Amino acid sequence: MAPIKIALTKGRTEQQVVPLLAASGINCSGLRNKGRKLIFKDDPRYEFILVKGPDVLTYLNSGTVQVGIVGSDILDEQTNFQYAMLNLSVGKCRFVLASTADFNPQQQRRKIIATKYPNITKRYFEGIGEDVEIIKIEGSVELAPLIGLADAIVDIVETGTTLRENNLKVYAKLQPVNTKLVVNRLALRQYQPQIKTLIKNLQAADQQAARANQIEELSK
Amino acid sequence: MKNKNLPNGTRDEFGSQAEVKEQLQIKLLDLFKNRGFRKLTTPVVEYSDVFKPLSADNYRPYQFLDEQGETLVLRPDLTLPVARVMSTTGIELPVKWYYNGDVFRVKKRLSGSYNQITQAGIEIIGYKGLKADWECLQVALSGCRQLNLADVTVELSQAKFVEAVIRQLPLPDPTKASLKQALFDKDLSRYQSLWAPLTGTAFEKFLSEWPWLFGDFNQVIKIVETLPRAVEVEKIVKSLIATKSFLNQQFPEDHVTLDLSVPSPQSYYTGMAFRGFTGKSADYLFSGGRYDDLLTNFQKVKVSAVGVAFDVDALVERAELPVDQRQTLIYFDDDQWELAESKLAEVQNATLCLSQSRQAAKQLADSTGSRLLDLTKGRQ
Repeated sequence: MAPIKIALTKGRTEQQVVPLLAASGINCSGLRNKGRKLIFKDDPRYEFILVKGPDVLTYLNSGTVQVGIVGSDILDEQTNFQYAMLNLSVGKCRFVLASTADFNPQQQRRKIIATKYPNITKRYFEGIGEDVEIIKIEGSVELAPLIGLADAIVDIVETGTTLRENNLKVYAKLQPVNTKLVVNRLALRQYQPQIKTLIKNLQAADQQAARANQIEELSK
Repeated sequence: MKNKNLPNGTRDEFGSQAEVKEQLQIKLLDLFKNRGFRKLTTPVVEYSDVFKPLSADNYRPYQFLDEQGETLVLRPDLTLPVARVMSTTGIELPVKWYYNGDVFRVKKRLSGSYNQITQAGIEIIGYKGLKADWECLQVALSGCRQLNLADVTVELSQAKFVEAVIRQLPLPDPTKASLKQALFDKDLSRYQSLWAPLTGTAFEKFLSEWPWLFGDFNQVIKIVETLPRAVEVEKIVKSLIATKSFLNQQFPEDHVTLDLSVPSPQSYYTGMAFRGFTGKSADYLFSGGRYDDLLTNFQKVKVSAVGVAFDVDALVERAELPVDQRQTLIYFDDDQWELAESKLAEVQNATLCLSQSRQAAKQLADSTGSRLLDLTKGRQ
């Protein structure tokens, strides 16, 4: 049987997920000492490729990989048609509406919102019946209200440190974000037993890790 | 200026790929014709309202306006135009149609996907019984056989199954709706938390397996049999089992699987639905099902129908492209046209060489690796 190809989001998701993969019984030796490599075949059952988050769905939709591991922020932003089968306990953060202390959410004019996530922003404001001007920014979104490019921002917050350091305040909490395991619809049928095993083992490893984290939190 | 570019999601097809595609279509159309189906061709451009029953998420059409401001689309589907034909013409029932043409679906920009898909398929209209479903399956699998596709898996599903089970669950209606959505999305984390209140009931075994209720036919049925008895579910199971034995008898070398955890591939399906794939394909090869509520006849009476369509582009992807054979160039003088024609008819894989001189013909043969048949040899 051909190995299952898994597209893993590189960077923080990769760092958080590799321990879970290892705990679920997958040989991750290559992923741990990766150098500049992008393809890893250390476990004969799986082939991992490292890609940028927004590219995970591109690979999945084309059927060139069977499984993707990616943040729900990207799935929500891109509109996902594949199966987001498993929530992992890592990568937990939240979308928020944030701005400077003098921002007035009730202001009587069309707001300008800067974000990396225009679709999520559009849906949020449509949901509360507001029409806003959206400016797409590629990074350091926090700058936008400080410099005067926008009235406020919609962005992901994990601990809130970056916001605090830039004197920004949270004005509304939007949807939560976490890392998800996504499976191509047809691949699930072609590789049913293997994918079921992968998910079962990963879910068990994730639950154990989540419990361990909880205990650690409590004993702090 | 855009006179040298193709729009996103389009492509040119030429050479072997285009020829294989044409051959595949000819084989499929012959199959339909030989079984007594009649041809139905509908326009590429239709009013957008014709396609309202499609879920807009999956099928974003190319749109434009006609001179009265009505929205027109390039058709994203070939079944709904058939419904339009049947409801506006007095065609006598029952009837069996076949069609062949392109559908257009705008996919995500710059994702490498192709927006123009060629389909070839059939619609059987006016028969209520399982026999019509079975003829669709027979056509689908005969088609695969004629195209030398081995190891085809037919996946059966049933549009009414999920609803029939959900209805019996002792859960509040909003929970039922969320449970169904989580099941369809295969969002295991959410699904598991939603059915948790039914742990310990007669539904436990079934519910714990439901998102995985696809694949091996007998195993799926075994899990369905753990459910408390319900007439509607039993009826569905009976027809699925009958269909499986029909397929095993007709196509013993193909696999039949069952999926009772999915929404039907089209929202307008009302009964059995089926899709075919092979281990290697990245797309379904064919897809079809019964839709008894979509079609109305001229008198606005509902008409039973079932159809199946091949994704010709997915078939081409699976087909082995022939190795280009060495071509023979027939070089001849202006007054030798008749002789050249007779050679053309005689020699396989030959073409007339229209070069002006023998030297040019030789050069062409050398550069393309062709064999040169020189009819002017020995002439002055």
